[in-house]
Amino acid sequence: MVSPILLIAVPLGLAFAIPVLGLASKRVPRYVPVIAMLFNLVVSVSLLPHALKAPIVVRTAGWAPPYSIHLVAGPLGVLLSSLIALIGLLVAVYGIDYIREGAKVKYQILYILMLVGATGVVLTGDIFNLFVFFEVLCISSYALVAYRGDSTGVEAGAKYLIQGAIGSGLVLIGIGLVYGTFGTLTMADIAANVSSVGSFRLFVSLAFLITGFGVEAAIFPLNGWLPDAHSSAPSSISAILSGIAIKAGLYAIARVVYTVYGASSILPFLAVLGIVTLLIGEMCAFGQEDIKRLLAFSSIGQMGLILFALALASATGISGAVFLIVSHGLAKALLFLASGYMIYRTGSRDISSLNGIGKRMPIMSLCFTVGAFSLIGLPPFVGFASKFTIVRAVLGTGSTFFITLLAIGLIGTVIEGAYFLRIVQGFYFKPAPEDSPEQTEGKVPFSALVPVGLLAVLILTIGLFPGIVGRVLGPAADDLLDRTAYVQHVMGD
Amino acid sequence: MSFLSSYIHYIGCFSLILIGLYVVLVKPNLIKVIIGINLMGTGVNLFLVTVGYIHAGTAPIFSEAAQQPEGMVDPVPQALVLTAIVIGVAVLALALSLAIRVYDHYGTLDLRKIKALRW
Amino acid sequence: MSPQAILITAFAGAGLVFLAGKVHSHLRDFLAVLSSLALVGLIAWSHGQYGPDNEIVYVPDFLGMELALRLNPLAWFFAIYIAIINAASVVFSLSYMKGKEKLGFYYSMMLLVNAGMLGIVLSGDFLSFYIFWEIMSWSTYLLISYRRGPALHAGMKYIIMSLVGSCAMLVGILSLYAQFGTLQIAELGEAIAGSSSGYVLFILMAMGIAFGVKFAILPLHTWMPDAHSEAVSPFSAVLSGVLVRMGMYGFLLVMYSIVGLKTILNLGAGFFNFHYILSWLGAITIVIPTFIALLQNDAKKLLAWHGIGQGGYMILGMAFGTSLGVAGGIFHTINHGSYIALLFLVVGAVEYRTGGVRDLNRLGGLIQRMPVAFFGCLVGIMGLIGMPLTNGFVSKWFIYKTLITEGHPFLAFMAFVGTWGTILSVYKLLHNMFLGQLPEKYKEVRKAPISMQIPILFFCFVIFLFGVLPGIPLRAIQGIQDTMGFAPLQLTMWGLASGAGALNMLNICFAIVIAFAVVLLLMRLGAKPRRVPQEDSYAAGSSVPAGKYHHSVEFYNPLYQMISPYLKDRVDQFYYWAADKAQGVFELTRRIYTGYAGTYVLYIISFLALLIFLQLAWEIW
Repeated sequence: MVSPILLIAVPLGLAFAIPVLGLASKRVPRYVPVIAMLFNLVVSVSLLPHALKAPIVVRTAGWAPPYSIHLVAGPLGVLLSSLIALIGLLVAVYGIDYIREGAKVKYQILYILMLVGATGVVLTGDIFNLFVFFEVLCISSYALVAYRGDSTGVEAGAKYLIQGAIGSGLVLIGIGLVYGTFGTLTMADIAANVSSVGSFRLFVSLAFLITGFGVEAAIFPLNGWLPDAHSSAPSSISAILSGIAIKAGLYAIARVVYTVYGASSILPFLAVLGIVTLLIGEMCAFGQEDIKRLLAFSSIGQMGLILFALALASATGISGAVFLIVSHGLAKALLFLASGYMIYRTGSRDISSLNGIGKRMPIMSLCFTVGAFSLIGLPPFVGFASKFTIVRAVLGTGSTFFITLLAIGLIGTVIEGAYFLRIVQGFYFKPAPEDSPEQTEGKVPFSALVPVGLLAVLILTIGLFPGIVGRVLGPAADDLLDRTAYVQHVMGD
Repeated sequence: MSFLSSYIHYIGCFSLILIGLYVVLVKPNLIKVIIGINLMGTGVNLFLVTVGYIHAGTAPIFSEAAQQPEGMVDPVPQALVLTAIVIGVAVLALALSLAIRVYDHYGTLDLRKIKALRW
Repeated sequence: MSPQAILITAFAGAGLVFLAGKVHSHLRDFLAVLSSLALVGLIAWSHGQYGPDNEIVYVPDFLGMELALRLNPLAWFFAIYIAIINAASVVFSLSYMKGKEKLGFYYSMMLLVNAGMLGIVLSGDFLSFYIFWEIMSWSTYLLISYRRGPALHAGMKYIIMSLVGSCAMLVGILSLYAQFGTLQIAELGEAIAGSSSGYVLFILMAMGIAFGVKFAILPLHTWMPDAHSEAVSPFSAVLSGVLVRMGMYGFLLVMYSIVGLKTILNLGAGFFNFHYILSWLGAITIVIPTFIALLQNDAKKLLAWHGIGQGGYMILGMAFGTSLGVAGGIFHTINHGSYIALLFLVVGAVEYRTGGVRDLNRLGGLIQRMPVAFFGCLVGIMGLIGMPLTNGFVSKWFIYKTLITEGHPFLAFMAFVGTWGTILSVYKLLHNMFLGQLPEKYKEVRKAPISMQIPILFFCFVIFLFGVLPGIPLRAIQGIQDTMGFAPLQLTMWGLASGAGALNMLNICFAIVIAFAVVLLLMRLGAKPRRVPQEDSYAAGSSVPAGKYHHSVEFYNPLYQMISPYLKDRVDQFYYWAADKAQGVFELTRRIYTGYAGTYVLYIISFLALLIFLQLAWEIW
């Protein structure tokens, strides 16, 4: 068994080796992220069986928790790190040819850093370490959003940075409060002692943490940055931001609420918040004319649904949420990647300019359609399996409160169906606009077709045989729910 | 009096944080907003140090004068603050470079006018 | 033949046709026809091979549930009905669709819709049912959109209503799972027996919304006129003939296979009895759409409204839970499938030969140009009206009899009124397409091609066959009723031997043959008829030149003036109004994202403040 620490160390090393390698050959740097993510994927997947048996706790410098910074690679963490590596790998392959102008070398470095940040967030067992990885993720994504240096990119980057910085400031205050109360930063140690402290003081720190992480998790009303950033970034970065980065924020919230604080009575509030986020996201997405902005708002909606499912506090609910994280990650990455080359081809992000693209880019449009269907939750694609699990969990709780919220949430699904299917109709059944410039550079290279096609195949395969992911979901949910086991594993007896 | 003297550090750092937030909320100028963020960051860092502070404590270094950990301030927050400062510097640098690019594109730093992306 | 083999053939056919479309057009057409006919053969062959042993688990652990298929009389009956109508439509498409674009897509979607429907009826559990239901829904949506232009709007309308229905069904299904821990249809029937009537009603409502949308019961019908008229004609035939009737299958399954006859009849009290309300919905669904059909000038819209109206008869028959009524309802379902598919194909043939014209004001006099189509139209409307010798007569007879013996004369009256409206409106269809004067521009119209004539004649044959020998389908229907616990009917090959709906088609046949003979004899005895060309018309004693013909335009105009104010589709208007308002709200919601960074920071701070305030006020933690 390899140590999970390599998941962070190796890509990090490779990232900083890029400038040196760049001296040797100009073409090498663009392949480095592919290698790094391939390594991560292999390691994560090989760790999965071990993690399913018992969480792997890595102690640094030989100190036992709570005195060390340590990694806890539980089922949930390893599942998410596999997802990060998988999507990261596919997007890295896509980026080989997609990134054409600007500081290519810096792009590749930042790209790896962003993914390392996300991997660190899901693997760490130390709350300050969580913050550090979070900042690695955030800072590199600020830079990547503005990477092209065009007016919308820098504007979005600046706004994202302002909100993100406020958010991380709040997280840091929260961590300070926690440390002041417990004198420890190990999440398991805090979890073990949390019941011994008066509630209000604890709640304030929880409120700071939720708000701070919520900014990155795109919970309404903390998501003002998201539509701008996701739509202005290069498509490969949008795919990562929507597919992975916001999930890291949500993971942090879930970890804090469930494992660290065990704050189950705040969950109804989070459920309401989730449904509100879902509705607002879908309602805003409906009228969008910019394809990437529409996808960004749709991400907000899906995040709301995931948050709602997380707040169910039942094992099925959380496995539904994790399943939706996986399925949304795959589908949204696919949609952003496919739309990237469509935008190159038509030279415009207007949805109306994408009309009739089914004829000019048949494979890309077919894959886009698969992704859209999966997001709506139509069988036999993976989105159906995940939404199905969530609905089952809600009805399994038997509580009127959650069922009412679900009924409201399903309206969101209908709205989502309406706008996605309208786009699909446009692709295939509407005539192409007359004045569309025939951009020659839009020829889709092989390096883009492979990841997009692979994502579509994955969506269909997991949709047909959800057992592939399904067997990890239960342990992943327990990983989050079962506090005592978590504490025992990390702290020893 | 005793209240003020024992909580003065907290009052100080939270004042800094609130001033920073106020600047971010009220000032439309991007540079001022960045200054606000930085003020807030400084406040947060101060807060972290304060958490580990013991009145009349010594530096957490074992020496001939101080053989025992009693009476030393907590070293962990100081380590945290070092990290936080580094992060803060990175954010500041990035923010300022973005501000330059924004000015290049829009010819202004007034956030009220930089609204190409909305709705 | 196992249901698995049927489904594999169906889905593989859809996939292969799509791939073949990339290779060669003839291969594609050949494969499409082959696989649709093969399905008919497979299903016909599997007749009688039922039994609980035939439950086959095809995906063992789908999210902790088993996906199973089963073949029983109900499933077989609907499967063969689906497969035949679909095969006929595919054959019809060969010439109708010739030269159109994206034919690989078209044929594979036709087969995919078919496969989805077969999956629905063969499903042994509700999860498979739902999955196939959704596959059917989205492939239908793609096919409706195929014709572009206004079809896009129709497709959107369809899929949105369909999604609402699916959401309701999903909630219903999963509530069953939460309650009983299983979704196997066979087990649910026993499990649900002891539950409260309120819960049963909730399940029926949730499922009923989904089935009602597909079935186009008022007030969930508004997608149907648009979708039927905008889809290509062979698909309209499938849509109106079978796809809509999946709702009927769903109702039968839930009402009689799962909830069970006894519970259904005792649901509610007095006027608020479940089947009573359902039957009133059915009656309204007959009357209003039938008269709206009268006002239509688009041939396919006219038929579409009839499709809604005829659904009402099925509901009426099914709602009372008597052997005769349910038999009538099921029988009417396949009868309706046969003649409405026939009529859509006829309209399609006319459309094909006249260059896409289906406006009844611009057609006429095609009887001599397209004799087979005329014959098909005649037989189709006879079936639709329910004339003796056609199958529509038998099923309507059963339904009327049920209404009268159950003591609902008013409902029976509404059903009769519906039939009058049907007669008036289908005469308009027949007349405006085939009778009257032939417009100058259609002089050169040729007969429908042979691949169109075959399905048309096939359906004519079916209509008469089931009309004269209703025993054939009724025996299969009896098999279904046995599994649902209905008292058996006294069947003969010619109809019913005894009981409330006694009927002997032999006698009726005999009477009709004699009547025909008498009329024929009288005509022979009279003066010898003289054949004149169609253009040889006289008015007030003088010949009318061809350019001055008065073609039948605005048929029923006085009636139209009279009734149209009462027959506005207010439900549709309401939906549009609601959609419009919703979009207004969406636009307002978007203004949350002002674009000014200060506002966003304000949101963050307020959120934090709200959290802390909530804790102070209510101690949420």
